[in-house]
Parts: sequence; C-alpha cells; structure tokens
Amino acid sequence: MTNALQPSEFEVQDIMINMGPQHPATHGVFRMVLQVDGEIVKDLIPHIGYMHRGAEKLSETMDFRQGIGFMDRTEYLAQFNAELGYVMAVEKLMDIEVPERAQWIRMILCELNRLSSHFMFTGAFGTDAGVFGTSFTYAFRWREEILDLFEEITGDRLMYAYFRPGGLAWEVTDNFEARVRQVLELSKQGIKDIDGLVTNNEIFKARTQGVGVLTKEQAIDWGTTGPVLRASGVQMDIRRDEPYLFYDQVEFDIPIGQNGDVYDRWCLRMEEMRQSVRIVEQCLTKLQPGPIQPERMPRMLRTPPGEVYIRTEAPRGEFGIYMVSKGGNRPHRLKVRSSCFANLQSLRDMSIGQYVADAVLALGSMDIVLCEVDR
Amino acid sequence: MTTEGAAPERTLSGTIWSEVDRALSGITASAERAVLDVIVTIPRDEVIRGLKALKADEALAFDYLRCLTCVDNEADGMDVVYHLYSTEKRHNVTVKVHLEANDLFVDTATTVWRAANWYEREAAEMFGVRFRGHPDPRTLLMPEDMTDTFPLRKDHPLAEIEVLQGEGIAWGVEE
Repeated sequence: MTNALQPSEFEVQDIMINMGPQHPATHGVFRMVLQVDGEIVKDLIPHIGYMHRGAEKLSETMDFRQGIGFMDRTEYLAQFNAELGYVMAVEKLMDIEVPERAQWIRMILCELNRLSSHFMFTGAFGTDAGVFGTSFTYAFRWREEILDLFEEITGDRLMYAYFRPGGLAWEVTDNFEARVRQVLELSKQGIKDIDGLVTNNEIFKARTQGVGVLTKEQAIDWGTTGPVLRASGVQMDIRRDEPYLFYDQVEFDIPIGQNGDVYDRWCLRMEEMRQSVRIVEQCLTKLQPGPIQPERMPRMLRTPPGEVYIRTEAPRGEFGIYMVSKGGNRPHRLKVRSSCFANLQSLRDMSIGQYVADAVLALGSMDIVLCEVDR
Repeated sequence: MTTEGAAPERTLSGTIWSEVDRALSGITASAERAVLDVIVTIPRDEVIRGLKALKADEALAFDYLRCLTCVDNEADGMDVVYHLYSTEKRHNVTVKVHLEANDLFVDTATTVWRAANWYEREAAEMFGVRFRGHPDPRTLLMPEDMTDTFPLRKDHPLAEIEVLQGEGIAWGVEE
C-alpha cells in the first residue's frame, strides 16, 4: 500500500506571528512580527516606540540642572552613566574644570552601576534561557546590596540625580570607602556564585552556544556597541580608546569574544564585572579628601554657543549625548544616542534561520532597556 | 573656567582635517573645529559620495556610524549631522549637511552604513526631512498615521508646560 498523502501535496506557507508588546520575554514594551516556517524564523520586523516620551524635546525646555534628573529616567538601569554624559556635555561646553575627588567618586559610582546593571542582566537573561528563579533571585540579592549603597549616598534607590555640572551634588557619606569595600566583597561572591551556577553549566552552554551569531562585519555595519560589538571580536571600548574621567590612570582588561554568539556575550559581561571590581579597588586607593565642586560656580548655568558629542561607555555600550547650544541656559537640541537603539537594529540578522525561542535569547543577550531605546 | 563669549581659539592645524580634505578631493567641503571633534560641512548633492570616500579611504576608514541626527535652526534651515568613527584607526569626525527650510531632503546614507536605517527613519518622522531612496520609509517611534506633524521641530508646541514656562511660572524668569 502506498502512502496516500505525499508531503509535496500539502501547500506549505509561512505564518506571521505577532509577539508583544505585552510579552514577558520582550523586556518591556517591544513588539516583533515574526515570519515563521514551522519553528524557524524567516523574517523578523521589530516595532519600537511604545515607550516614547519625547525626552529630547522635553530636555530643550529644561535648564542644565533640571535636565540631569531626566537622564535617570531615560536609562533606568545605568543612571550614573547616563547622568555623566549629560553633565560632561555641559562641562565641556562651559569649559569647567572638575575637582579630582569628584572625578574619582564619579568613576566609582559609574563602575558600581555597571556591576548592578550586569547583575540585572544575569538575572533577566537567566529567565530568557529557562532558568527562572535560580539566577534571578541570586542576581537580585547582590544587585540590591549595591542599590542600598546608592540609596545611602543619593537618597534614592533608582533616580539619583547626583552628578552636577562641575562635580557632585553633595559629599558622600562618612563611611563611603568602608561601604564600597563591603559591597565589592559581596559582589565578588555574587560573581563567583553566578559563574558556578550558570556560566559553566553544560545545559546552559548547550542552550546558548552558536545561537544569535553576529559576525564582526555585521556588528560594525549595524553600528552595534558595547558587549554585543566586543563579543563579535571588535576591540572598541571608549574607556580605553578615548579616556574620560581618570580611566587612563587605572589598569583594566577589555574582554573580547570570538564567536559573537549569545554565550560569548554572557561570558564577556561576567568578565566585565570582574574588571569593574578591579577598577573600583584602584579608585579607592587614589581617593583623597578635597572639594567636590569648583570654587566658583554660577548660580544659573549658561553655556557659550557650540556643540559637543560626548560618548561614554555605559554598561550597554556607547551612550552618546549630542548637545547643541545657542547660548543661554538650556540646550537648543539634545540628542540621546542610545546604545540599545543601535544594538536592536541587528536583531533581525541575529535571528534569521534560528528557532523562535532563540530569537528571544538573542534579544535578551542585548540586555535591552526599552526606555532607553524609545527615549 | 571661562564664561560666555570667551571660548578659546581653536585652529584646524594638527587635526584630522588635512586627511579628510585629501580624501574628499573634488568635493567642496569646509571645516571648523568644535569642542571635541572637527566638523566638516559637505554640500547636499555630494554628501553620499563624500561619506563613501571617507569610509573607503585607507588612512581614514570611517567604518562606524556613531550617530545620525538633525538640528532645527528655524529660519536658517536644518542640519543633518553624521558622527563617524573608525574602529580600526580610532578617530572621529563630524559631517554636516545644511538643508534650506523649504527644501528638506537628502540622499539616504543606508547605502554607506546599514546602521543609518533607523536613525534616518527617526529623523524623518521627527523633523520632516525626506531621505531619498530609503529602503524602509515607515515611521519608527511615532504612530503609523502621524505623518503630517513633526514633533522635534522648534515651531512644534510641547504642551501646557511650555506655555507655563513662557509665562515664568514653571521655573522662574531668566535672570
């Protein structure tokens, strides 16, 4: 007896699937339309803009001190890094000299912020990869220690508004150094724990290796930044290439990936966390008492006409602030060059030819913050 | 620190401009020195040829598009600003194209770097600049049907808060 139905007699067609904007795996309100053949992604169209709040337009109506608080809300997992870009833009335009102590404290806080942001990544990514609970609860316990320290200094867990053009808003707490050392010890323990639980786990490796690959050429052409770019083997870290603050006075290594897959991005962030600990330890030895604001600061900040593009290495990659001033006390134009915005463009290339579940992993490996993408 | 009007004199000597000028032979470009980078202004008709030359030149190798955006100068028209970087040589340059207020279009840069795709879509919907030959000219952040109003233009009102600020209620009158 012959088979009555031959496979060629079926008409096969691709299906369009909508994923998001309300979906737990999209890290916020992000929608992607998938064209799938069975479970294989044939095409992927990302849709963003659900969180667009007009941050750039609003910044044009706020003076240089009001704008700082707005940066926290743009990038809510790396707030210090976002504030830093804004205040540095004002400082560069006004030609303000920042006291040494303020610079070192800024550096400590930015690196600790990188640690807390990467802890968040390890937790959230674990959820994407199917280890719900394990990495999430562990990572958040260590992240919370860092947020406690930030709260002691700035008075808020998330929205700090602590950097000011010229320096800092106020002096750090008396036991700052001891507390930072304490947090560092805890973080080291946390990195070790997560490494032991996840990084060397055979199941995790099998799930992530060779998934969401982005070649070096694609990574550069799409303008991806940060860990995504470095995992594809591109040596680019603004902290080393164009040092700001005192990054040229501390020693640290820049990890580079080889395969450009999801597993490389994970390992790269784990290594970056160890390097951040190393940087903060060096900063603590160089921290001296001193002023945290220049002696004379005008009550109303006014910049001369000009423009500047400040780039800083935030946890998710290059965070750029393009500020155009026509004189006066507010920016004429403020463009926030978001790192996730650049990374998200490459999602299509990462996902085509993979399973739908792997597209979710590729998205998670970028560590996206939709508030930053949409601004 | 200096105050308004006392910006230090900046010259182009010793900057990347000499290299850029050589790579842009045949294109009438001018340059000025900003706070951090050199700004090169290229006429609109020659911008894609210029950008391609900057990318292909071996000594410059601007293979990475950092940022692409617009600046609205009201009556003086609009500027399209390209921030370029070389991942190999590790240097920067800013390229500007000036557009007249009643004639807002420029050729797409997606043929040079694919990264320009979303930046141009955003600039198009926010400023009403048309990027000629763009492969995917849909809205990006705005609703799909919102194609007749351009929120980031200076003449676009913000909301009540701006009105309040105009009256000096929101954060005090300028000194």
